[in-house]
Amino acid sequence: MEKQNIKTDVLIIGGGIAGLQAALDLGDQGFSVLIVEKEASIGGRMINLSKVFPTLDCSSCICTPKMAAAAHHDKISIMTLAQPTNVEHQGAGFAVTVREQPRYLNAEDCTGCRLCEYACPVDLVHEVEGNLGARKAIYVPFNNAIPQVALLDMDNCIMCGACEKACPTHCIDYLQEPREHTIEAGAIIVATGLDLAPMDVKAEYGGGKLVNVLHGLQVERLLAPHGPYGRVLRPSDGKVPDTVAYIQCAGSRDHSIGIPYCSRVCCMYAIKQAMLLSGALPLVEVFIYYMDIRAFGKGFEEFYQNAKAMGIEFIKAKVAQITEDEHRNPVLRYEDQVTGRVEERAHDLVVLSQGVVPAWDPRAVLPVEVGGDGFIAAANENVAPCRTSITGVFAAGVATGPKDIPDSIVQAGAAAAEAAAYLRGNDKVESITTADRPAQRPVEVG
Amino acid sequence: MTEDKSQHNGEGADAENIRVGVYICHCGGNISDTVEIERVVEAAAKMPSVVVARRNMFMCSDPGQSMIEEDIRTERLNRVVVGACSPSLHELTFRGVLTRAGINPYLFENANLREQVSWVSKGDPTGATDKAIRLVGAAVAKARLLRPLEPIRLEATPRVVVIGGGLTGLRCALDLARLDLDVTLLEEQPFLGGHLAELGQVYPSDKPAREILGELIREVSAHPRICILTSAEVIEASGCVGTFLLKVRAAGEMETQCFSAERIAADLASRAHGPNGDHHNDGAGTTELEIQAGMAVLATGFDHYTPSQGEYGYEEHPGIITLPALIRELESGGLGSGPPALNGRPINSIGFIHCVGSRELDGVHDQNGKTELNHYCSRVCCTSALWAAKQLQARYPDLQIYDFHKDIRTYGHGHEDIYEDTAKSGVIFCRFADTAPPKVTVTESDPPLMISLKDELTFNEEIDVPVDLVVLVTGMVPHAIDNLVDMLKLPRSADRFLQEVHPKLRPVEMAVNGVLIAGCCQAPLDSVESAAAASAAAAKAAALLGKGYIEREPFVARVDQALCNGTSACVEECKYNQAVSLVETAGGARKAQVNAAICCGCGMCAAVCPTGAIQVDGWRLDQFDAMIDALLVNY
Repeated sequence: MEKQNIKTDVLIIGGGIAGLQAALDLGDQGFSVLIVEKEASIGGRMINLSKVFPTLDCSSCICTPKMAAAAHHDKISIMTLAQPTNVEHQGAGFAVTVREQPRYLNAEDCTGCRLCEYACPVDLVHEVEGNLGARKAIYVPFNNAIPQVALLDMDNCIMCGACEKACPTHCIDYLQEPREHTIEAGAIIVATGLDLAPMDVKAEYGGGKLVNVLHGLQVERLLAPHGPYGRVLRPSDGKVPDTVAYIQCAGSRDHSIGIPYCSRVCCMYAIKQAMLLSGALPLVEVFIYYMDIRAFGKGFEEFYQNAKAMGIEFIKAKVAQITEDEHRNPVLRYEDQVTGRVEERAHDLVVLSQGVVPAWDPRAVLPVEVGGDGFIAAANENVAPCRTSITGVFAAGVATGPKDIPDSIVQAGAAAAEAAAYLRGNDKVESITTADRPAQRPVEVG
Repeated sequence: MTEDKSQHNGEGADAENIRVGVYICHCGGNISDTVEIERVVEAAAKMPSVVVARRNMFMCSDPGQSMIEEDIRTERLNRVVVGACSPSLHELTFRGVLTRAGINPYLFENANLREQVSWVSKGDPTGATDKAIRLVGAAVAKARLLRPLEPIRLEATPRVVVIGGGLTGLRCALDLARLDLDVTLLEEQPFLGGHLAELGQVYPSDKPAREILGELIREVSAHPRICILTSAEVIEASGCVGTFLLKVRAAGEMETQCFSAERIAADLASRAHGPNGDHHNDGAGTTELEIQAGMAVLATGFDHYTPSQGEYGYEEHPGIITLPALIRELESGGLGSGPPALNGRPINSIGFIHCVGSRELDGVHDQNGKTELNHYCSRVCCTSALWAAKQLQARYPDLQIYDFHKDIRTYGHGHEDIYEDTAKSGVIFCRFADTAPPKVTVTESDPPLMISLKDELTFNEEIDVPVDLVVLVTGMVPHAIDNLVDMLKLPRSADRFLQEVHPKLRPVEMAVNGVLIAGCCQAPLDSVESAAAASAAAAKAAALLGKGYIEREPFVARVDQALCNGTSACVEECKYNQAVSLVETAGGARKAQVNAAICCGCGMCAAVCPTGAIQVDGWRLDQFDAMIDALLVNY
C-alpha cells in the first residue's frame, strides 16, 4: 500500500458546511488546513438541499461558493473518499492515519468531461438523488461536485472496458489500490455531520417499505431544480401529488426508537418544503401533523406564520400508524386533537420528517467523550461548546448535536477560533500581574 | 492623478482591443425556469466586443468557474460579464476567477438575472427574457469601459473594541486576546456578567451561572491583552475599518486593574439580587477616553420584555410576576425554605403563561394599544420556564404547577429531558391557540388569580385554573442601543435586532465594514449559542486584522485635478467627515482631494461637481451613460 506523510496545522474531519467554514476561517488566519471527506465530493448534506429556510435562498448558491473558496484557498487542501482510521498523540499534536479509497482513475488527469459516464452501460440507483434517480457505475458524483472528478463503483462495474476506451485522457486505472496517509496535525476539528434517522426502525410507519413514503432529504431532491425528475412526482406511478402529508417527529422525540431528543431542524424543513411544494404545484394541499412547531431561530416564527397564511394546514396530532391502500396511497391513522376522534386519511405522498443522528461515531478512532445521544459532548458547553474532552480536538456542527445551517456555520467559526488559539499556544496564561499589562491603555483626552 | 481623456467618452474601449466573455447562469432552475437562457446567450454573442458567450447550470460552481478561467486564457478575454444572481452573493467569487486567470479582478461586471428578473417576472417569460438580454447588454457596455483597479490597503490597528460585558462579550474578548489581538472591553454597568449573572444553576451543564461566569471573568481580567472599562458609554464614533476611533465616557474608577476574586464574587452575587446591585460606583466624575481599534464587536445583548400594565394582569396583583422576577426570588431564597410563600402569601399553585411578549400576532396582541409587536420567538423561554419549574418541583414537592403554552420549544441539548422530567413529576400542561391567549383575572376567592383559556389538549374545553402565582414567561427584546446604531449606522432587521449581512454566508458580520455582532443583539440565543457566536466573531476579527492591514474595495471617489475648479461643492455635499477636502496644489490652486480610507463611494460628490472632475471608480458617469444607451438596444 502506498504511504504518504502530510503535515498540516489543522486536520478537519468532514467537508460539509461546518468543516468548510472552519477551514476557511482558519485558512484566512494563515493556518494550513487539510479536510478529509469520506464522500467523493465536499459539500456535505447542504449541497444536495433545494432551498434553505428561512430566506429561501437556493442552497447551492450558498454552499458552492464556500466549496469553491475552500478548494481554491492557498492554505486549504482537500482529500475526498478518505477517512481517519487511527489517531495518536504526537508531541503537542496528533499523528492521524487516513485511508483514501481508490477512485480507480488518476484524479489529476480526469477533466470531469463525463465521456466515461456516457459510455458506461451499467445503470444504478443514485444515492445522492435519495435513490430516486439513476447513475452509472462510473460517474461524476453530481453537477456541482468538488472535485469535478469521476469515480468508479467497483462493486457494480462489469469490467467491459467501455469507460477506458471513451476516456480522452486515459486516466482509468482498474488496478488502483487504497492509499494510506499519515497526517501530522497540530489540532483536529471533527465536523462529521449527520445521517437521517433510519426509515426502517419504525414498523408502525411502514418500516421503510411503503413506496410513497419518503424522507425529507428525498423531497429536497424532488424540489431541487436539477433533481432526479426535474419536477415533483410520487415514486410509485409518477403521479403529481394532490395531497402531501408531513409527519413530524418521525425519528425524533421518540424513546421507542432510541432518539429521545429534538432534532431541531425538522419543523423548519417541513414548513419550508411545504411552501416550496405549494409553489411548485399550485393545486397541492399540504398537511403537517405535529406535536409542537419549533420555529425558534431568527426569522423562523415569521416563516411559520407565513406558511399558515399560505394555507399550509397544521394538524396537532401524533400519527399512530401508516398503511397503504390499493392505489398505494399512504393512509394515516391519528387522533385529532380538536375532535378527539381517531381518524384515517389517505394522502398521495407522505413525508417522514426524520430526525438526525450522528454520521460518525469517533470513539473507535478518536476517544473523545460522547454523550448518551451519540453526539460529541462538550467539556464546558455553556462557555466553550466546541471543546471536546481531548485537548487540541474540537468539534463543530451536527457532530456536537442537531443544528441548523446558521448554527452550524457559527459553531464552525467558533471551532476555528479555538483551534487557532490552541495552535498559537496562548492558553497557558498564568498568574499575570497588572505590571505585565502592555501599553495598550486608552489615551485620556481633554 | 491624470486621466486618460479618451476613456471618459467611451472611445477608449476600442483602442485597447476589448475582448468580453459573457456567462449566463441557469441557477439550477432559478433563472432558467423563467428566462430563456439560450436566447440570452445568442443575443450576448452579438453584442459589441463579445468574443464568447456561454451558459452553465451553476456558474458559481467549480466547473462554471473553471469554464471562465479557461476562456480567459484561451480566448484572451480581458473583460468578463456574468449574468446570474445578485452581485452581493457572488461578485467576489467571480472576481476571484479573474485573479486566478491572471487578469485584474475589477474587469468583471455582474448582471442580476435572478433577483431583478426571474424571481420578479415569473408569469412573463417573454418579458423576462427580453429584460435579461437588456441587462446583459448594459453590463457588457459597462464592462467595455471598466478599468483595472487596485484594492485600497489600510493600516489595521490590531485592537478590537468589544461592546458589552455579558457572557458573549467576555467570551469574545478572551478569544480575541487568545488570538493575539488587543482588546478593550466596554460594559455600561459597573460590573461584568450581563444577564447570565441573574441565574442560578443553568442548563445544560447544571453548573451555577456564577461559577461559570466567575471563571470566565477571572480569565478575562487576568489577560494582559484585555483592558476592561466598566460604567462605560460610547459617546462618539468615527473612522472606518482598520482605524475606528471611539470616544468613551467611563464613570467612576477606570477599571484597568485586574479584578480580584473577591470583587468578582461580590459583583456576581449582587447581580443575582436584582438589576440595581450597584455598590461600588459612586458616580463621582467621568473620564473621557479615546480608543483606536481596527474593528468593533457588538455584544450588547438583550433586555427582558416588560409587559405593559394590565397585560395578563401584570401590575394588577402582586401575585402576577415575570419569569426573571421568579428566578430572582428563587435565587435569593425569596420563596422561603419551608412551604413556599411570596411576600407573606402562601403559594400552593403556580401557572406559567408562555409567549408573553413573543410570537405576537397582528390583530390579536395589538388590541391593548400596543404599537410594536414582537412577532419573533424568543427561543430560550420555553426551556427556561420548564427549568425553573423543575427547580421549584425539587424544592417544593407539594407545589402544583400548571404550564400554559402554544408549543413547547425545548429544542436544544438536554432540553427535551427537562420537559419530560417536569411532565413526569406532575406539571400539568395546557395548550392555547395562537389567536386565543389565556386571560388572567383577579378574584375575591382563594386562590386569588384565575387563568382562563380554551385548552387544545382537552379538545378545546374551556377551563378556569385558579392559582396563587402567575408567572409570565417573558421573552427578549434587543437592548436599547439607539445611540450606537445611529453613530455606526447599523442596520436592524424587522424584529429590531441587529441584522447580519447574511445568516449563512456572513452570520457575524454587519454591512458596516469592520463591525461584527455576536449573541443576543442579533437574535435571542441561549448561553451555548452566544458563546459560539462570540468565538466565531473572534475568528473573523483575527482573520481580518491578523495581516496588519485591511483591503477595501477601490470604489471610492477620485479627482481629476485637471478638471477640478476647487468650487468645494463636493466638500459641502459630503456626509462623511474628512472624506474629501480642498488642498493647495503646487501651482497655488485649491483642488479637491479624497481620503480613500474614509470615502464610502456614495457618489454624492459626483452628483454636484459642475465639471465632472470627481467621480467614483467603478461607477463612472461614462459607464452609466453607456449602460443606459445599451438598455435601449434591441438584440
